[in-house]
Amino acid sequence: MKKPKAMILRGTATNCDIETFNSFKYVGAAPELVHINQLLAGERRVLDYDIMAFPGGFSYGDDISAGKIYAVKMRALAADFEAFVRDKRPVIGICNGFQILVKTGLLPENKANAQVSTLYTNDCGHFLAKWVKVKINKKSPCIFTKGLPDEIDLPIAHGEGKFIVEDAKVMRSLIKRDLHAMTYSDNPNGSMLDIAGITNPAGTCFGLMPHPERNFFAWQNPDRPAAAREALAAGCQFFRNAVEYAV
Amino acid sequence: MSPTLLNFTGLGEKELAELDAACGWSLNIPELKEVQRYFKKAGRQPARGELETIAQTWSEHCKHKTFSGPVSFLNGKKTRKYRNLFKETIVKATRTLNKKWCLSVFTDNAGIVEFGSGGKWGLAFKAETHNHPCAVEPYGGAETGVGGVIRDILGVGLGAKPVLNTDNFCFGRLDDKRELPRNSHPPERIMRGVVEGVRDYGNRIGIPTASGGIYFDDGYLLNPLVYVGCAGLIPTDKIEKKVHPGDRIVSIGGRTGRDGIHGATFSSANIDEETSASAVQIGHAVNEKKALDALMRARDQGLYNAVTDCGAGGFSSAIGELGSKTGARVRLERALLKDTRIEPWEIWVSESQERMILSVPKAKLKRLEAVLKSESCEYCVLGEFPGDGRLVVTHGKEKVVDLPMSFLHGGVPNFEKPAVRRKVRISSGPPAAHAGYGLILKELLAHPNVCSRHSVITQYDHEVQGGTAIKPLQGRYGDGPGDATVICPRAATLDQDDYAGFAVTHGFGPGVGKIDPYQMALHSVDEAVRNLLCVGAEVSRTAILDNFCAASPRDPEVMGDLVLAAEGCHDAAMAYGAPFISGKDSFYNQAKDADGREYPIPISLLISATAPVPDVRKALTMNFKEPGNALYLAGLSRRGMGGSVYNDMSFSGNNLVSPLDMKAAVKLYAALLKAMRAGCVAAAHDVSQGGLGVTLAEMAFAGGFGARLDLAGAAAEKGLTRLELLFGESPARLVLEVIKEKETEFLRLVKGLPVTEIGYVSEDPVLDAAFGPERLFCEDINALKDRWKRELL
Repeated sequence: MKKPKAMILRGTATNCDIETFNSFKYVGAAPELVHINQLLAGERRVLDYDIMAFPGGFSYGDDISAGKIYAVKMRALAADFEAFVRDKRPVIGICNGFQILVKTGLLPENKANAQVSTLYTNDCGHFLAKWVKVKINKKSPCIFTKGLPDEIDLPIAHGEGKFIVEDAKVMRSLIKRDLHAMTYSDNPNGSMLDIAGITNPAGTCFGLMPHPERNFFAWQNPDRPAAAREALAAGCQFFRNAVEYAV
Repeated sequence: MSPTLLNFTGLGEKELAELDAACGWSLNIPELKEVQRYFKKAGRQPARGELETIAQTWSEHCKHKTFSGPVSFLNGKKTRKYRNLFKETIVKATRTLNKKWCLSVFTDNAGIVEFGSGGKWGLAFKAETHNHPCAVEPYGGAETGVGGVIRDILGVGLGAKPVLNTDNFCFGRLDDKRELPRNSHPPERIMRGVVEGVRDYGNRIGIPTASGGIYFDDGYLLNPLVYVGCAGLIPTDKIEKKVHPGDRIVSIGGRTGRDGIHGATFSSANIDEETSASAVQIGHAVNEKKALDALMRARDQGLYNAVTDCGAGGFSSAIGELGSKTGARVRLERALLKDTRIEPWEIWVSESQERMILSVPKAKLKRLEAVLKSESCEYCVLGEFPGDGRLVVTHGKEKVVDLPMSFLHGGVPNFEKPAVRRKVRISSGPPAAHAGYGLILKELLAHPNVCSRHSVITQYDHEVQGGTAIKPLQGRYGDGPGDATVICPRAATLDQDDYAGFAVTHGFGPGVGKIDPYQMALHSVDEAVRNLLCVGAEVSRTAILDNFCAASPRDPEVMGDLVLAAEGCHDAAMAYGAPFISGKDSFYNQAKDADGREYPIPISLLISATAPVPDVRKALTMNFKEPGNALYLAGLSRRGMGGSVYNDMSFSGNNLVSPLDMKAAVKLYAALLKAMRAGCVAAAHDVSQGGLGVTLAEMAFAGGFGARLDLAGAAAEKGLTRLELLFGESPARLVLEVIKEKETEFLRLVKGLPVTEIGYVSEDPVLDAAFGPERLFCEDINALKDRWKRELL
C-alpha cells in the first residue's frame, strides 16, 4: 500500500514541526517538512500531497497576533489551499496551525481571505500550558476525531486560544452542522461555547487548540499509572484517522 | 580615525582610574598599567577599539579572573595557597574521575556527555547567570539570558539542537516593603518581568522550559539571581571544531546595534545608581529560531568548520576566541546594522543578540548562503581567519584594532586574593517550644520557598517538542511538584523506537551556605543526585554543572565562602563519582541599599545535574499511587535545623547543619536504584525544603490519597527531636512508596541499610502521623493542598 504523502508546513520561526512529522510517520504516512518559502518559490506544490498539517507552536514570533503573518504569507497560495480543501484531502491545524486556518478563512467555510472567526487572547491574559479534558462531539462530521472516547486528556499551550466568531449567525450555523468537533470540559481560555476545535462541513479540514501530538504515547501523560505507560494514547488517533482516510 | 587616546601611555594612576570609570571598562590599575606597558613597548598610542577589546577580553565575565586566579585562604590558623582555585578543585575532580562517557569538558561553550546507547549522540548541557541585566531590566535581561544560553548550545562543537531549557531564580521576599535605592526594582516586579521574559523567549523559540526553581531570601533584594540553562543533542561526530586558515568569518542571525554595549564589563562590577539599562541587550526570539533552523541544516550538510556564539563582548569575543590561534582579519563595514549611528568600535563590542559566528571554507560559502536564504536568515561575511596570529579589525580605511592574539589572551596579569573563613555562631540546643506540628506543616506548605510554582510553570511551554516524559507538574491532577524532569529527545534524534532519555534537576541551598559553605556544596550535589534517583535515573552516570554567584571578591570573607564551597564541590564530585562538565561564576552581586550600606548576596551555588534514563516509560513520579502500598523512609535522619525553611519562618534556637555522610548516601542510592529497576517502587520523593512532613504531604495530595504513619521506627541519630524528624532538612533522605506484592523483594535489596517502614497509603484523604503512642498531627490532604497551592504570580 502506498503511503500517503503528508506535508508538514514550516515557516519562519515555527515550532512543533518535528513532533508532528514524527506523529505522521508513526501512523504510516510519508511526511515531509516543507518550508513556505519552498512553496512560494515553486520548489514544492501543495497539490502534490495527500495530507497537509499546520503544526502548533509559534510562527513569526506570533507578532501582531498569533498566526497572522503566516496567514498573510499564504495569500499568494490561496487558490492551491482552497483546491486542496475542496478536494477533501485531510488538513489539520494544531494550535498555531488552527490560528492560521481561521485567519486565512480556510476554516470553517473554505473561503480563503474571508475570516469569520478568530482565536483571541486567553481570558487569563497570558500563555497557559496545562493538561485539560476535552469532549468529543460524536455527531460532528470531523474525520479526525472518529473512534475517540467521549472525553480525552490533551495538553494545551497557548496565549491566544479563545475561540470567538463574528456574530451569532456564524455560531448558529456552526452548531447546527456540528462543526464544533471538540469542546473543553473545563474551559481554560474563555472560548465561546467551550469550543476547542472546529471542522469544515466536509469534516476533512480540522483545527484544534490542544496538542494531540503531545498525548500520542501514554508516557507523555502527567498521570502515569504503571500499567498504561507502554500504550499509545488518544492523540495518536487523530493522525491515524487522517492516514486511513487518505489511503 | 577612531578616537586615539592621545597620551594613554603617559597617564598616571589617577588619570587611568578616571579614564576607566568614564569608559566603563572595569579594569583595575595593575591591568591598566599592563596595557600601558604593552603600548609603550609597541611605541604607539592605542585606539579606542583596542582598549575596548582588551577590557572585554580581560573582564571578570569573560576571563573568570577570580575563580581561576591565585588565592591565599586563612582557615582558622592554617593558610592554604591556591595558584588556580578552579583548576585545583572543580577541574581536578573531573580529571581524577576521568569518566570515559565525558566527551567534552570545560573547553567548549557547554559540557558534553554520551547520550543513549550506540555512541551516536552526545548531550550538551550548560547553565549560566544573567543577574546584573535582570536587576536593571528584568524582562529584557531574562529574555536575553535565555537566548544567550541557547546560543551556547548552538555554539558547542559544530552545534547541538536544544531540547530543554532550565531556569532557577532567586528574589528578595515579595512582601519586603523596604525603601529601595534608585535604579532598583521591588522583588515582585523583578519576578514578574523575569518570568515573562523567560516565557516569551522560550515559548517562541520552541524549546521546553521544564526544569528549575525559585528561591526567596532577603539577600537577593537588590541583586536577584537568574540562572538559565539549556541542554541539547549533538551527533558525536560533530563535537570537534577547528578553524582553518583561509576560512571566511560569517555572522548569521541578528543585526548589530547599540544595545548591549559594555555588558561584559558592567557584569564585572557592583551595581550602583550610575548603572545604565542600555548595557542590557534587546532580545528577538524569531531571529534566533531562524539561525537555529538554518544552523542545524548547515551542520548536517557539513558547511562550516567551526561555530561559536556572540555572547559577552560580541564580535570581539566570538571572533577573538575562534581566531585565537589563526588570528582574524575583520572588516566591520560589512556588518549588518540595526542602527547606522554607531561607532566602529561599538560594532566590534556590541552584544546585540541572536548572532552566531561561523568559520566557513571558501568553497562552501555558496551552499551555506543558499541554506541561510531558504530559512530567511540574514548573514554577512565579515572577513577571514588568515593564519598570521594577529587580530586586525578595520572599518573602511580606519584601523580599529591591531593586536597580537597572544597579548590579548595571555597578557592579563593576575593577583593573589586573600580569603578567610567567616565566623558563624552555632547554637545546637534543643528546638524551642512551638504551636503544634499540624499547624507548622500548614505554615511550611504555604511558605514561599515551599509552595506550588504552578502559576509560573504553566506560563512556560514545558512540553513543546513532545518529549517531556516526566514533567515539572505531575500526578493524578497534574499539579504535584516533581523532583526531576525527564526528556525523551526524539525531536532531535527522530528515532521513534528509542525510549532513551535523560533527567535534569538542580540542588541549591544558600540557607546552609550562610552557616557552612562547605556543607552547602555537599548538600547541593546530594540533593541533585537524589532528585535524579527519584525519577529512576542512572545516578552512577551523573554529570554536574557548577554555577557560583557571590558578592564582591574583594571581601576576604566572600572569597573564604567561595574556597570552602569549591572544596565541597571537589569532595562531593569525588564521592558521588559525578564529574563537573561545565560551569560559570558571577561575582560582584552586591549593591548599596537606600541608606548607602553594602548589601551583598549570600554565597549561592547552583548545582545542575543530568543522568541517563534508559527507558523513559519506566521513569517514576512522586505521587501516591495505590492505597495499601507501604511507605518507607530511606536514609538516616540527623540532628540539626540549620538552613531549614522552619528556621527561616521562626528560628528554632538550633542552627546546626546536619553533616552529610556521602559514602552512606552513595551506597543507599545504588541499592534503591536496584529496587526501582526491579519494579518494587511506585513513587519516590526527596526530603528537602520543609523536611519529611512536607515530602509526605506533597506525595499525598498529588496522588489524592492519605497515609497512616508511625515515625517511631525511622532510622534516626541519637537525641533527634520530633521537630527535627518532621521538619529538619538533613540530607540523603527520601520517601518511597513500595508496591505491596514487591515488598519482600524490596526488603531483600535494601537489607542492612537505613531504610525503615513508616506507614502505608490509605484511601481516606487524611495524613495521620504518630510517633508510637503520640499523635503528631492528623490533617486533611485537601486542606494541606489549599495552603500549598498559592498563586505566586
